[in-house]
Amino acid sequence: MRARLFALVVVLLTVSGSHQVQAQFIHPKIKSNETTIRRVVVMPAKVTVVRDSMKGPEGMAAESDELSLRVEKMVAEVLANKKKVTTLPAPTPPAASADGDSEQKYNVADFQTKFDALLPNIMKKRSDVKKARFTMGDEVLNLNLDKGADAIIFIRGEGKKLTSGKTAFRMLVGGMPAYLRLMIGIVDARNGEVLLYTDPIFPGDPTTAIDRLRKALEKGFKKLPEVKG
Amino acid sequence: MFPRKPRNLIVAALCFCIAFTPLSPFALAQKKTAPVEATPPPVREEFKFGKVDMEVLEEADLLDVRLERDGLVLTDGPSNAFVRRVGQSLIPHGLELEKVSWRFRIVRDPQPNAFALPNGSVYVTTGLMTLIDNESQLAAILAHELTHVMRRHTYVHNRSNRKKFLTMNVMAAVGAYAPGGVVGAVIMVVTTVAPFIMMATMYGYSRDLEREADLKGIDMMISAEYAPEEMVNVMKLLDRDFEGENIRLFYNDHPSLDERIKYLSGYLGARADKVTHQMELNRERAAYFKTVEPLMRHNLQLAIKAGRARSAVYHAQRLVDFHEDSENLFWLAESYRTLGPRAPQLTEKELTNSGKKDAAKKREKRTLEEEERDLLATEAGKNNWQSHQQKAEEFYRRALNAENPTPVAHRGLGMLYEKLERGADAVAEYEKYLELSPSAIDRERIQKRVEALKEKLK
Repeated sequence: MRARLFALVVVLLTVSGSHQVQAQFIHPKIKSNETTIRRVVVMPAKVTVVRDSMKGPEGMAAESDELSLRVEKMVAEVLANKKKVTTLPAPTPPAASADGDSEQKYNVADFQTKFDALLPNIMKKRSDVKKARFTMGDEVLNLNLDKGADAIIFIRGEGKKLTSGKTAFRMLVGGMPAYLRLMIGIVDARNGEVLLYTDPIFPGDPTTAIDRLRKALEKGFKKLPEVKG
Repeated sequence: MFPRKPRNLIVAALCFCIAFTPLSPFALAQKKTAPVEATPPPVREEFKFGKVDMEVLEEADLLDVRLERDGLVLTDGPSNAFVRRVGQSLIPHGLELEKVSWRFRIVRDPQPNAFALPNGSVYVTTGLMTLIDNESQLAAILAHELTHVMRRHTYVHNRSNRKKFLTMNVMAAVGAYAPGGVVGAVIMVVTTVAPFIMMATMYGYSRDLEREADLKGIDMMISAEYAPEEMVNVMKLLDRDFEGENIRLFYNDHPSLDERIKYLSGYLGARADKVTHQMELNRERAAYFKTVEPLMRHNLQLAIKAGRARSAVYHAQRLVDFHEDSENLFWLAESYRTLGPRAPQLTEKELTNSGKKDAAKKREKRTLEEEERDLLATEAGKNNWQSHQQKAEEFYRRALNAENPTPVAHRGLGMLYEKLERGADAVAEYEKYLELSPSAIDRERIQKRVEALKEKLK
């Protein structure tokens, strides 16, 4: 009985969490309009989902890759539609440079790693983005992005899909529902400062809940000022 | 005969569970006395692929693609060819394994590690390649990983885990619907304890497979005429924790390095038919360094970017000792500049398990820049910085005075002077760098630094 009650509380918290305004933390420069994000470059997203079955978690590499691409495109779409932000091409798409320019490929990979290293610090105290505490340094300039780029977007995510057996089990016993949680950082393309951090989360099958994903992203970027003119 | 009070019954049930866990003193005692002489055959002949195994295989193939696509695989030709040659030499002649296609690759990661995928892809990190001393040690690592593939450890472990997860879930369901009273209390206790037991058996099984790979690896090394004692030496090298990150947890999927050194030495002692002379190993070391020198430099760059300054200083010094050219001197200077106010070695207290755990917590709370700023506010930090900036400057200068000086040493000096607030000197060095490297990838970054410094100097 107690276990069921606990499971119910967990489920309610998760579901209610998805309907709240997502946590968003904005750099003072954005808040004071000192910096405006007009053009962005979206770095390749890294979203991993697993299938949770009665026999434990199973990898979903193909679905994860597909979802990563979808999230990447949807972030660009939401920013364009809701905030009038233009997305510029990413620095050398990794697939295209498979046997070409290793240095540029490594460069992009190292920036992704650098963001991964900074992410635990940000997540530990997300509100410090408002105090301009986090930066990736002026090394961002080494990415040699389009001169018009104002910011770079890094996307990470983790999610869980339940098998039908596990869904039934969850109804009986309780446990975490299927979900997708994204961690998105917007970094100044000129000096590496973290300008915005948001981590939308929503319940449901992460591989199919496209509308929920869009809504979560819209909420996630709610505080980002719209480009005027 | 049986305890009648509910509390006694619960205690009895707990004792029963604990007695049969792999964590119990009986189980641990059994483990320690397990024989090390006998190892299973190199290949698990009886293995038959099932649906679940095919899914694991598919995941492994996709992981291969992802690692390459994300720029994590090193494309350096000679180093990859070298690893491939050593790996192929260990595979028993004429061995054909179903759904295995051997591939040996290097991952761009400064942390020493290696792993094998069940499809036959074996990966060694640049960090591990830089840490080891010779070809035999590389063979030891690859032999260990090859055993995982040949003995189908990933599939076997996955099958075993699935059964245990199912048991855990069934237990959870039973626990959720436990009746009241004494019986219900016992069921609650058992179902609460069961997941811990299952977790312990999962990790225990994983440790058994690692042990098997270690011992089988020695057999493979001997067959391929590599010095088998180098397996023990690799473990000793891995035991050197420069960054204080090897934390012992309650559950570990690998045996402790001490334990590995102990049983490997025991196994080797039982069948030490070959002990290589030091001179032979020294010759091997020189040849190894010559082959992987570019890889080692690449790893230094990665280590510095990841803030692994202590490892960087150690490895750069090794490189300079081997070959004192401009580029190696530059990397040693860069390593000292990155080390900044940090002590060159961790203290004994910092190397205890609790010290490492504290440091890990701090790393989550503080960024590298904040750590540096906090250290610079201390007397010890100031002294370290003074000593390291002097060393950095000395090595940058030596790099510039060496034959074929590398222009990046000017950039390094510029960054050092900028930090020391010697603006005019920094501008001069940056400008020399830009003049000598007109197509550098970081041109824009340095130009902006020059502009900002000039503005400040006005």
